Amino acid sequence: MGSSCKEIEQMLVDYADGRLSPGESSEVAAHLAKCEDCRRTLEALKRSLELAGVIWEDGLAETEAIRIPIPRTARKFQWPKYAAIAAGILLVVTISGLWRALVRPTGQEPTFAEIERRISDSASATRLLAAADMLAKYTDTKAIANRQYHYVVKKYPQTPAAAEAKLRIE
Amino acid sequence: MNEKNADFEAEADNAASERSSEANFVDIFSAEMGRLKRIIAGMGLGASDAEDVLQDVVIQALRRAGKCQTKEDGFRWLIKVTVNRCLMEHRRRRSFCRRAPEILKRRSETNTHLTGTDEKAIVAEELEIMRETLQELDESLLTPMVLRYFCDLNSRQVGLILALSPSTVRSRLREARMILAKRLVERGIEL
Repeated sequence: MGSSCKEIEQMLVDYADGRLSPGESSEVAAHLAKCEDCRRTLEALKRSLELAGVIWEDGLAETEAIRIPIPRTARKFQWPKYAAIAAGILLVVTISGLWRALVRPTGQEPTFAEIERRISDSASATRLLAAADMLAKYTDTKAIANRQYHYVVKKYPQTPAAAEAKLRIE
Repeated sequence: MNEKNADFEAEADNAASERSSEANFVDIFSAEMGRLKRIIAGMGLGASDAEDVLQDVVIQALRRAGKCQTKEDGFRWLIKVTVNRCLMEHRRRRSFCRRAPEILKRRSETNTHLTGTDEKAIVAEELEIMRETLQELDESLLTPMVLRYFCDLNSRQVGLILALSPSTVRSRLREARMILAKRLVERGIEL
């Protein structure tokens, strides 16, 4: 193989793949027309790729049957989203705790019976206070009215009427 | 040599089609499963090794889910992982283990253009030479060859996957092709 053959050999692969320019292709074709060694090499290039393809395709026939289960639900853990939700929940709980601590009266929640009793006491105290006020208008009954005010204060101390009665006690 | 060839045209097309949309590795894996199988087959692995490789690749893809910027990045990463995993088996000489007669038998069972006994004998000999040559071929030459000629990737894509310049890829392809061709010629195969 002469030096010209070496130059051509550099281009033979691209020639076989059809990747040379028309000018280069003509140059290689002209050389091949007169060089049997290079023709043989070119033939071997084509044949070897064909045989490699046969071997590769055979391997592919084996791998084609392989099935790999792919979990479709796999997703990246979106920590900023979950962090925002957690922060929101924490904020609501904190505010509600503070609200309850500051606004709600201490002690146990009154029962229904207790509320009913307070309403009833308040009504009785108001009624007695009104009666005492009427008696206080007359000199003869002022002493009785005063005793009534004392009674209201003592009997219904938590009512608004008792607070009023306290102011009227002489 | 004129550098303006089909390879470059394919590269230009490819660059134009690169998209920057966010990609999901699992979706890319599903879409590219066929090509990954071609790589595995091209690197000469048997069915059981191929299954191991694919399992490993899908696990790595799941671990890395969401970490690729573009589909092109994800695609390259998957090919790279698959190639590297195949190379491990190739280095252990667990590739191209099916001998020529087995290959020919399977071919004859499916489709065959080979009818005469003499022709089969010649092809078996050629195939065996080629199988041995592929098995012995250095991985730096085999990998670009598989990606280029069996997976239809151009030199630029192959270069990006293997961290080589396109001209180095082309030079390795020429070297690999000449080794295979010369082995046939040296063994006196009638061409």
